[in-house]
Amino acid sequence: MNPRRILAIAMKNLRGLKHDRRTVGFLVFMPLLLITIFGYTFGGDVENLDVEIVSFDDAPEGTSIASAITSDLATRDTMSIVRVTSPSEATDGTVQAALDKVRDADLLALIVFEQGFTEDAYEALFALRNGTLVMPGSFRVYIDGTNPNIVSAMMNDLQTSIQKVLVSPSFAIVLPIVATPELVYGEGAEFIDFFAPGVMGLAAMMVTFMLSIISFVHERGQSTLDRLLASPATEGEIVSGYVLAFGLVGLIQSLVILITAILLFGIEIQGSAVLALSMIFVFGIGMQGLGFVLSALARNEFQAVQFMPIVLFPSILLSGVFWPLEAVPDVLRPASYFLPLTYAVEGLRSVMIRGWGVGDVWLQLVVLLVFAAVMMLLSTYGLKKRR
Amino acid sequence: MSERTRGRTGRTVGENEDRSVPVLVRKLRKEFDGLIAVDDLEMMISPGLLYGLIGPNGSGKTTAIKMFVGLLRPSGGEAYVLGEKVPGRENVQRVGYMPQETAVYPDLTIHENMELFAELYSVSREDFERREKLLLDVIDLKARKDSLVSQLSGGMKHRTSLACTLIHDPELLFLDEPTVGVDPELRVGFWEYFGNLKARGKTVVLTTHYMDEAVRCDVVGMMRAGRLIAEGAPKDLMARANASDLESAFMFFSRGDNA
Repeated sequence: MNPRRILAIAMKNLRGLKHDRRTVGFLVFMPLLLITIFGYTFGGDVENLDVEIVSFDDAPEGTSIASAITSDLATRDTMSIVRVTSPSEATDGTVQAALDKVRDADLLALIVFEQGFTEDAYEALFALRNGTLVMPGSFRVYIDGTNPNIVSAMMNDLQTSIQKVLVSPSFAIVLPIVATPELVYGEGAEFIDFFAPGVMGLAAMMVTFMLSIISFVHERGQSTLDRLLASPATEGEIVSGYVLAFGLVGLIQSLVILITAILLFGIEIQGSAVLALSMIFVFGIGMQGLGFVLSALARNEFQAVQFMPIVLFPSILLSGVFWPLEAVPDVLRPASYFLPLTYAVEGLRSVMIRGWGVGDVWLQLVVLLVFAAVMMLLSTYGLKKRR
Repeated sequence: MSERTRGRTGRTVGENEDRSVPVLVRKLRKEFDGLIAVDDLEMMISPGLLYGLIGPNGSGKTTAIKMFVGLLRPSGGEAYVLGEKVPGRENVQRVGYMPQETAVYPDLTIHENMELFAELYSVSREDFERREKLLLDVIDLKARKDSLVSQLSGGMKHRTSLACTLIHDPELLFLDEPTVGVDPELRVGFWEYFGNLKARGKTVVLTTHYMDEAVRCDVVGMMRAGRLIAEGAPKDLMARANASDLESAFMFFSRGDNA
């Protein structure tokens, strides 16, 4: 291993990038765009859902649970209440008209409180105290269930209102059981904190893999690889030069993401940033090795591009970047454990949110190191084999 | 046929490893999936010669050179380059290779391409600066030194490729079609430079399909279907074939090979 030659090859790759302004722009702005878009999209809650409320609840104003829930809903942004029809105006026709709007997708939901809703609720409460059983007060929510996220956001918001209204002084009904979360980690963490490590891993993966597979298809296609191999540079030196250059690019990208996430979204890193970035670097080395290996199977850029979705999509979906691993179905779970991104993201989260150190993320570190080492060896072997 | 067997008999194994003999080839074969590219090739190239390998496309010139520089492993027979059996790593520093394709990095400037190969061959800073200047003159691209290769014409790229091959001043050069796409005027300059290299004791092995150029070589090896069908000084070859040019001579030896 001759450091001068490794450096020469690394410099060649970085210089090539330097002359290609658009690619440099892509390398910097792509992660910036990723984290910004994802940060705002996933960081925000579901809001401004158009809802109409029709109430037949004939309890006097002030004691009506229906109107209490209605006014509580209005204090939050989840629902945007388009119209409330009071019991005096409500007819089957208003319900039908509103329901038609839901069917036409002009409204996302219609909430209907039946006549005697408050009364039913009180009766149920007394019955509970007497030990008898009656039907509880219930209301209907007609929701456009096209997007399950919207359904669950709306139902959650309704539950919140119901609980708040019941314990409020006018009703003073204390719930018999209350669960109180005590956060072990992630006190004050928002979705973006969970998200940033995932995006860092994902961006590093996309870029190192893409750069290396395209560069190598070029090296082979334009015969510069022949020239390198006929020079004193050994296969190991060529691979190392590449690793150095593109590993660095992946690292810089992660840094861009991290800084953006801190400045724009105020995320906090509990553990060591150096440890987090080292994990990204090792992961980037492995991914670029994979690109290197797969480039041997691609005859041109078009074929190289075909590998990208094949490699990227399983990782995006199964590595816990967006959805927790626990949400991955059992059938696919083993696949998750074969994906290096799973370990990179898990390790990064542990360091960034839980504040864990090297001793705690050793498993992830070892997996990533083995992945990088195996990919480098395979790349070197792949180059040697052609002789 | 006598030219082909010249100097072959009576050699001992020890002589194969003579580090001063640029190329010595014995029964060299290369097959690709049953297709024979190089077929029992026999040749010996003496030091300080300008040696031209000529022959039609697919005659095995490029495959032979790729074996000499260690990019392909022979399927049979053996080849010694500067005394080392190929593929070997001992002499890489002493050899220069210019691939047939324009093997330079389009996203780097001419200067950066030359610098890269200088670094790979551990050329000192002063040597690099001196040779770069000289070579930029030879390839007539001094003014475009800092231009990206992707912005150059095909011929200019090819010239850059030659300069990259020469930057470490190797003593043995394998040039695969160095003058293709180079305009006639500059081609004359190239041949002058090859002569210059020869005068400095370098051995130049090149392939070409311009027969008029091949006349300028000291020795020409004619290849056909992976074999050397004739070898000798252009004058002698033409005399033996009773031809006025190398092209006719090639046709003559081709027919002889068929018979």
